[in-house]
Amino acid sequence: YSPPGKPTNINCRSPEKETFTCWWQPGSDGGLPTTYALYYRKEGSEKVFECPDYKTAGKNSCFFSKNVTSIWVNYNITVVATNSMGSTFSNPVDVDVVYIVKPNPPEEVIVNVTEDKDWPFLQVSWKPPKMADTRSGWITLIYEVRLKLENENKWEELSAGQRKNFKIYSLRSGGTYDVQVRCKPDHGFWSEWSPSTRVKVSEYLPRERSMWILIVVFAVFILFISIWMIYMNFHSVKHYLLPPVPGPKIKGIDKQLLKSGKSEDIFSSLVVSNFPPTTSNYEDFLVQYLEVYIPEERELIMDEGKDLQDDGFKTENSTCDNDSGRGSCDSHTLLIDKGGGDKEDGQQSDQEGSQAEADTKSHEEALEDELLACSHENAQIPNISNEKEKVKSCPSLFSPLPQYSLSPVNQPNKPKTGKQHCLSDSLFTPNSLSSYFTQPDPSNTKGFRSNYWECSLDHKQSHLFHPQRAAHEALQAQNDLNAAYVDYMEAPMDVHALNVRPTEYVEVQRVSDEDVVLLHPVPPSHENSCNVSHQTEDYSRVRMVNNNNGLLLLQRDAIEEEKNMCPYEEEMVSRATSTGCRASITPTLQNSATGINTALPILDEMAGSGYVDTATMFGLPTY
Amino acid sequence: MQQKSEKKATGPRRRRRRNRLRTCRTDERTMAQRGISGGKLFITAVYLVAMCRAVPVNDLLDRASQRSDKMHSLSTLLTQEMDSHFPPYGRMQMPRPADCHTSGLLTPNDKEQALQVSESDLMSLARSLLRGWVDPLAVLSTNAITLPHPAKSSISSKIQELQEHSKSLADGLDILSSKMGPAAQAISILPYTGGTDLGQDRVTILNKFNFLLSCLRRDSHKIDSFLKVLRCRAAKLQPELC
Repeated sequence: YSPPGKPTNINCRSPEKETFTCWWQPGSDGGLPTTYALYYRKEGSEKVFECPDYKTAGKNSCFFSKNVTSIWVNYNITVVATNSMGSTFSNPVDVDVVYIVKPNPPEEVIVNVTEDKDWPFLQVSWKPPKMADTRSGWITLIYEVRLKLENENKWEELSAGQRKNFKIYSLRSGGTYDVQVRCKPDHGFWSEWSPSTRVKVSEYLPRERSMWILIVVFAVFILFISIWMIYMNFHSVKHYLLPPVPGPKIKGIDKQLLKSGKSEDIFSSLVVSNFPPTTSNYEDFLVQYLEVYIPEERELIMDEGKDLQDDGFKTENSTCDNDSGRGSCDSHTLLIDKGGGDKEDGQQSDQEGSQAEADTKSHEEALEDELLACSHENAQIPNISNEKEKVKSCPSLFSPLPQYSLSPVNQPNKPKTGKQHCLSDSLFTPNSLSSYFTQPDPSNTKGFRSNYWECSLDHKQSHLFHPQRAAHEALQAQNDLNAAYVDYMEAPMDVHALNVRPTEYVEVQRVSDEDVVLLHPVPPSHENSCNVSHQTEDYSRVRMVNNNNGLLLLQRDAIEEEKNMCPYEEEMVSRATSTGCRASITPTLQNSATGINTALPILDEMAGSGYVDTATMFGLPTY
Repeated sequence: MQQKSEKKATGPRRRRRRNRLRTCRTDERTMAQRGISGGKLFITAVYLVAMCRAVPVNDLLDRASQRSDKMHSLSTLLTQEMDSHFPPYGRMQMPRPADCHTSGLLTPNDKEQALQVSESDLMSLARSLLRGWVDPLAVLSTNAITLPHPAKSSISSKIQELQEHSKSLADGLDILSSKMGPAAQAISILPYTGGTDLGQDRVTILNKFNFLLSCLRRDSHKIDSFLKVLRCRAAKLQPELC
């Protein structure tokens, strides 16, 4: 047994600022019956009073009635616990009534559901607690409302100020709500919440839902339209999403044949019957025209030339179908590589700046070169006749050839692709020719560029060596003759072409055993009207290259004659007839002497110039 | 949840007054809020207010009670802030609240007494109390700056705010009292004899400061209560506010 423990936690509350109640927490009782007493003392007086009422407020409480309550007066309160062993005093507490006001909850909470057309709302009204005298202004209360759906846990609190009614909107259709109200004096504590008032909101269809219905209908409509559109364009959509896989297709080979599995048939289809050709009559093999179109672009650089090449491919590439497997027809890269190699072999790249002499020989040699180049591509048959075939088989060869000629040339100037250099026959020493014809000598760097024809239409020598001359040439291989039709369209770049003869046709009739290319002028089939003057002469035969750097061309009539009268002029004539670059030849020849001096170094630069000065050309063999 | 927020109870009244006489209201507000150029403005305001006969008294009382409410809230915050760092048991050694310099003023001790006091007396009491705290507030303000207390800056700002409110309220009550009769004009003088110096040592200074603040809290509550009683008495036209 022991004295009682100290009472603790004395707190007092006043509901209306007129009375107040104090509660305490008793300590341990020490095993003995303990009594508690509360004593208080007002400020300004030493008199101690005891609690007047221990019962009204319940156990361990003291109720101060109106009579004993004073406001704006400090109460010093002490609770004493007493048992037979002793008594224990609690800590004193100072209390001023006006500061401990905690009213009762509001009363008569009424919640009305008002049906306002489509939008019902709640009207909450209440009354202040009875004991609080708000009417006289003794207590000023402010209120708070809270509500929640019956199934939820979270309350929504709304401040109502000093009003005693409140409206709540945005209710859930068909929901059941719980509403509570509480109040607080202006300087005091919040009251407890009033008991819950339950109310049910009737069902209503908000306009929002109708809007949702509209939206859904609209979306469905759009969905139908989109499905219908996809259905209409099903194939294109399918093609876009799942592109078809290209199938292999080799020209000349039947898929069904392959599938059948008969090896003999397969192999027979692969083998060309006439390959390799056995006859010696080359003329029989020339069965096709080879048409090489080179677009008329004046200024061609290496890169552009390749584009040209592509154009050339495209224009004439009618032999290939639209299949995806186009390797055999269209791999211009293939041709380029091979052609370039050939070029380097058989090209006298940088040396021909001479004017375009209508050297039939040059033409034919050039043709042969191309043919040879082509032939090299196609397993190198050193036969001109075979070249024709090869030419046929690689139609695109010729178009890039002009380009090729430029490739090995290192020129400060821009070599123009497509330049056709008219090679003077003087270049073609019999030896070189023969060597060329038999087999292109890789070591023969002096070999002329086969496919360079350059007709300088400019009478000025400067333009002769101007690298910007470009002559487009289209080769036509006539199959009936062992000749390549050289059709070149000359279009000097920036030279004032006095006499522009766009196209000239020279036909290589055949190559004689003497390594003489017999050229045969052909009436022009193109729109370019060439001078028909050359038609009088079928061909001019290059006899030889004389020491005067003249190319001796023999006319048909005067084939026996070897006119060495005026080599230049004769060459002019002959050349002009065959090439039609008459105008340009003359001045060139006149300046050939000077041209020689200047041509030689320039020739190196002008691989693509295309114009071969006879003078320089004649000097070439000395190189 | 949407809620239709209605205006405050004083809203319609204020609106009415606004509609009627804007200038008068502006002047009154100026008077009530900023008694900066005290006397001159006061006289001008009183003159203007006297001319504005239509200014309702209950509206003025409403605004006055709002201001007193604000004052009491501030003083309560001040005491709480002081107690947060000041040990409570130090208050034991404090002089009792009965020793407040305003204790000489007889004020009602309970509700019955308070409700029996006439309006003029209530107004007079309020004004007296208010007047009696002008000097102590100044003392508090000067001492708050150097108060050996961690929250002295906040305390200082609050005291300054209190001073402003007190001043504007005093001006407003002067206008009000002029409408209420001569009895309301009478003010009891409550001199403050504490001196400008609160003490020498820290404990003494803090004790004195705390004591003054507690006295202020009570007196501000008295003022607030009186004014709210007056407000409800004047709000005969709108009983729903009270």
